[in-house]
Formats: sequence, C-alpha cells, structure tokens
Amino acid sequence: MTRSDTGRPRHPGGPNAGRPGFAWALPATLFFALFAILPLIGVAVMSFTSWSGLGNPAFNGLDNWVKLAGDKVMMQSLWLSALLTLLGVAIQTPLSILLGTWAAGHQKNRAILSAIYFVPLLLSSAAVSVLWRALLDPNFGLPGQFSSFFGGDGNVLGTQAGAIAVLTFVGAWQFTPLHTLLYQGAARSVPPVLYQAADIDGAGTVRKFFSITLPQLRNTIVTSVILMVVGGLTTFDTVLILTKGGPGTDTTITAFYMYRKAFQSFDFGVASAIALVLVIIATTISLVLVRVTGYDKMHSVQEGI
Amino acid sequence: MSNKSTWLIRAIAGTAVLALGVTLTACSTASGAASNRPENVIHVAVYGDAGNTVEEAMVKKFNATSDVKVILDRIPGANYQQKLQTIISTASAPDIFFNWGGGSIQPFVKADLLLPLTGMIKDDPKLESSFLPSVFNAAAIDGVPYGIPMRGTQPVILFNNKQVLTDAGIESPKTWDDLLASVKILKDKGITPIALGGADQWPTLMWYEYMFDRVAGPDLLTKAIGGDSSAWDSKDSRAALTKLKELIDAGAFGSNFDSVSFVDGGSPALLRTGKAAFELMGSWEYSTQQSADKDWTAANLGYATFPTVTGGKGDAADLVGNTNNYYSVIKATRYPDTARDFLKLMYSDEFVQAQLAIGNLTTTTSTEKFLDQAADPTYAAFQFTMVQDAPAFQLSWDQAYPQSASADMHTAVAQFFSGKLDVDGFIAAMQAL
Repeated sequence: MTRSDTGRPRHPGGPNAGRPGFAWALPATLFFALFAILPLIGVAVMSFTSWSGLGNPAFNGLDNWVKLAGDKVMMQSLWLSALLTLLGVAIQTPLSILLGTWAAGHQKNRAILSAIYFVPLLLSSAAVSVLWRALLDPNFGLPGQFSSFFGGDGNVLGTQAGAIAVLTFVGAWQFTPLHTLLYQGAARSVPPVLYQAADIDGAGTVRKFFSITLPQLRNTIVTSVILMVVGGLTTFDTVLILTKGGPGTDTTITAFYMYRKAFQSFDFGVASAIALVLVIIATTISLVLVRVTGYDKMHSVQEGI
Repeated sequence: MSNKSTWLIRAIAGTAVLALGVTLTACSTASGAASNRPENVIHVAVYGDAGNTVEEAMVKKFNATSDVKVILDRIPGANYQQKLQTIISTASAPDIFFNWGGGSIQPFVKADLLLPLTGMIKDDPKLESSFLPSVFNAAAIDGVPYGIPMRGTQPVILFNNKQVLTDAGIESPKTWDDLLASVKILKDKGITPIALGGADQWPTLMWYEYMFDRVAGPDLLTKAIGGDSSAWDSKDSRAALTKLKELIDAGAFGSNFDSVSFVDGGSPALLRTGKAAFELMGSWEYSTQQSADKDWTAANLGYATFPTVTGGKGDAADLVGNTNNYYSVIKATRYPDTARDFLKLMYSDEFVQAQLAIGNLTTTTSTEKFLDQAADPTYAAFQFTMVQDAPAFQLSWDQAYPQSASADMHTAVAQFFSGKLDVDGFIAAMQAL
C-alpha cells in the first residue's frame, strides 16, 4: 500500500478533490470559538491571577506557576494521569479490536450479544461509578462475599494499586463498547475480496487477521487511541465518585486535582494553571500521535484495490 | 480546513470543556449593592434536606403579617458551601443564608460581604440572650456577631451497639485505657471494634478532634486556627497523635476502613448489623439508624460521651462537632429590618417546638422546657445536658478553618490513619494549611 506520486493521476479521493469550502465549517467554528477558545483565553489569563471566587481576581504574576512547579501532588497527578491513560489504552485496544472484528460478522447471535455488550455505554459515568462503588463495598458488596478474590479484607479502594485497578476496570467496562463499535464498523468495510484472495492463497484465520484485518484497521486504531488518550487525560467523574482522589492523594489525577483546587480550595488561579497544563499536554500528545502515525496524510488503507 | 487541524481542534475541544467549568464561575463577579437587589422580597437560602418543613412553616407564618415577603430558596445539600461561595458576591446572593458559623463565614466577613449583627442585637437584645452563649459565640468573628443560631446543635457522640457490648461483656469506655481494653476483647471475638467511614474522610477527622481536645485541651486548636501553626508541633499535639496511632495500630478500626463510607450507608450498617461495636459520629447518626431500622434503633443504639484520657488537659465534658447552624445576613440587603424581624422567629417557642418534633435540638435557653416534646425525649435530654454543661464546644476543624483548607486537611487526616504520613508528616501538613 505504498504510494507513488509520479506518473499517476491523483486518486479521486485525494486531497482537495471536491471538498466543501470553509463556509461549511462556519457554524462549528463559531460554536467552538465561543465555547472553547474564548473560555480557554479566560483560563490563560486567570492562571496569572489570584482569585477565591469572592471579589475581583488580582494579578500575581508567575506565583501560581511557581507554586505548581513545586507541588508534589501536581507532579504525582501527572504520572497518575499518564499511568491511567496508558493502562486504558493497553487494555481497551486489544479487547475492542478482538470484540469489534468478532462482532463484525453478520450472525444473529453476534448481533444480540453486541447489543447487550453495548449497554454500559448507554449509562452515564456518574451512574456507573455509583453502581460500582456500591458493588465494591468491603463489607456488604462483592468483596464481602468473595473475600479471597479481593485480597482478604476487601480493602479494594483503600490501596493505591486497588484503586487504580478499579478505575481502569470501570473505565474499560464502560468505554470498550464504544471502541468496539468503531472497530466493528471498520472491520465490516474491509473488502471481502481481500479475504477471498487470502483463502485462495491458503491463509488461515490468524494469518488473515494479522495480514488483512489489522492493517485495514490502521486509521481506526489511530482514531480510537487518540479518543482514549484525550478521554483518559480528562477522566474526572469516575475518580470523583469512586475514589475522591484517594486513598489520600493516591488517585488524584490532574483533572481531579484541578477540580479540587478550584471548587474545594477556591484557588481558581492555580486551578486555571492546571487546566492550561492539561490543554497543552493533551494537544501535544494528539499532535504527536497524528504525526507519528502518518494519519494526517490521510492515506486510504484501500488504495490500489 | 485540513484534517490535521480538525484533529488538533478536536483535541483542544476535549480539554477546553474542562476549562469551561472554571471560567463559567469567573463570569459571575458583580458587586451586590442594594440598588440592584430585588424589591419587596428578601431571599433566604437554606441547606435543602428533610428539615426544610420547619423553615417553610416559619416563612409562611412570617409572610402572613409582613409587607416585605420572604422567599425560601432550598439549595440542594451537596456542595452547599461551594455553591454559596459562587453566588455570594453576585447580585443574586441571598439576603439571609444558612451556614455553620466559624470558618464557613470568615472569608465572607473578610471580603466585607456580611452585616455585623451588633445593630440588630441593640434593637432586640433577645437575639443574643435567648441562645446558649457557647453556641452564639461560635458565629462571632473577632468578637463581632455575624450569625443567629437556627436549626439545632450536632455534637459528636460515641455510639454503640448495645447487643454487641452485652455479648462481649463490656461497657461503653469511660477512659482511654477502657477503650483500648475493649478493642482487644472485641478483636479477639472477630468483631471490628470501631466502624469508620474512612472513604468520606470527615468521619476520620472526628477522632482527631476529640483526641486533641482530651489530650491538649481546647486552646491548642484556638491557637492553630488563629494562625499560630507552631501549636501543631507542640508536645501536646505529638502526644495526641501518638495516642491516636496507638489506637489505629491496635486494629481498632479494622483494616479496610478506607473503603467504607458513611454517606453510602456502609459504616452505619456495620454498627447496626453487629459487625462493629462502636461508631464515633455526629448526633445525626440517630436519625440515620432510625430511618434504616426504627425498632433496632429504639432497642439497641447506645450512646455515650467520648472517654477521658488520664493526664490530659481537656475536660471530660468538652464537646466537638457542629456547634449549630446559623443564619447570616449580607451587607447588601435592601431590607435589614425585615431580616431582623425574621430572625426573631428563631427563638420563638413555636420554632423550638417544631424543630424538636423533627429531631433537631435547638440551643435556645427555652429549649429545656420543651424537651419532653422531642421526637425522642431521652436522647434529646442527653444531648441538651451535654451541650449545656460543656465547658468548650469545638467546631469541626474543617468548618473552623476556612473552606479552602478542608481538602488538604482531609487528605492529611486520611493519610495519617492509613500510615502514609507519620507524626512529623501530619504536623507538617497541618502547618501548611
């Protein structure tokens, strides 16, 4: 699937071919400017002020940033965010690729099972978190019944490893269906002719999966991973409800720390600085991912077919 | 627009949504001068819960005779303080609002938003003299009164499961050594000695509040809150922490308290089902248990004061908890006289009787003669005597300190219990508040 630009007419689906003009993007751009760019500028300004929500913000130069740079909880929160995001990607990606390609088959039982499997995605994160919190109560929930499986005393949310495992699990439980759906759609659009050719060549199921399905899913993998990374970095509700950033500050990820600074400690200046850090990190990671994977070049995986 | 920048934009959008939450509140700064406040009405903001029936009745009664009408705004209870802080400096701030006194109103006083009640009290001295002094003074900032007590007092009490104590052959501990001995007996029987909702963190704080009072006396906290952070590093402070550590290490709270929550009903259920013998909790434990199992509560829920510590400086009758709830008035109000007349209802007999009937224990001097009308007269009398006789009633630390300190305080409190902070670490954390 290499591309050569010489001696060949532009592919009909290539760049600039019949693309709508900027006017089409105007409503979205306006909306985006009003509800994202504008607040973002406000946050950037506020990160140089000191404000408790009472009276007017007062400029305090780089104070917030200096404070943040020396803040142990902040540094720890960045590592925790990275860890939770990586765990999310590492667990959800293989699961959803396998489930997605499996669900792409047209058999009736697969349709029913994928519908059931889709249910967690329909629930709100808050409801999901409350549900799991109740299920994980050490005395009256699952750990009370199956104590040996949960490490004796069922102190699942009371240890750092346990709390991170729960957050990862609940995240995967809720969001794997979304990514499964992406992969299901993508796997269905793989031209059957590829599999037919492979059959003639005598390729087995495993070989077909690795040599046809997976390469064909490349763009979907990039999409899904970017969604997971940005989603992982901005995870908030599950942490708020399931662990409240605890035990101690052991699961205080950056987004939650921002909330804590803003709405519990009323230090909106520092909270704005944290928000800005998050914006910068998430943007950088997305850009790097897009670049590294060559996604921005928009090469079709079906070129040459 | 190329696809590259679409992705860039989507990526920013995802994160900017978060930032939005922070800025939305930033848009709401406007000073609330009387001129842009509503006419002919005053707004009263209360913490929304089951207790609102009495407030509604009071408002109805008041509106029957007043030209300026009172509108009751019930603010849903969760994050009440945060919501209040967001609106208090805006034009839509309530004229009168529910609070916990102490640190919960101190930032507002500093920002010059509250009306000193000295003038009102001059007009009607009963606004001060009708209440127990220790309670009234907890809403004074630097000696100036800013709050009139409303609703009830909520001291922290050591609750127990009578059945479990009887089976183990022990009584509610009178001294610290009794408590340690009981812990050992209960542990040997496979019962968690003390139920603790550690996941909520504030139930854990109650243990510090009583330990510091009993060992170091109430002055240490007064000093610390006043800004003298060296109080945390004193010999008494270390002694209190060491004693507490002794109790934790003895396994008094079991090993999974960090996963148990009071709010979710976890720790009250431990006590009720006999899996735990004690729980240190605010007086609302009674109504919590009652709504879960009325018969059990009547027969088996025991309560007693916190044990004494031999050699400690605190009085055995000292209390900690929510001293009371208060109404404060904002400076910008258009009708201070109406506010005053409304506040007069807070010491009326009718108000006291109505509060007692729903289980709240008012702190007016007249409360005593109505105690037999309380939802549970024995329990009400027990609490009232306790509050009346207490030489000191320490407001919960997280409410005595400004709200901005509470998150860090809760973290330190939880980390010392789970062993992540040692005595020095805890002291450093408290000094940094």
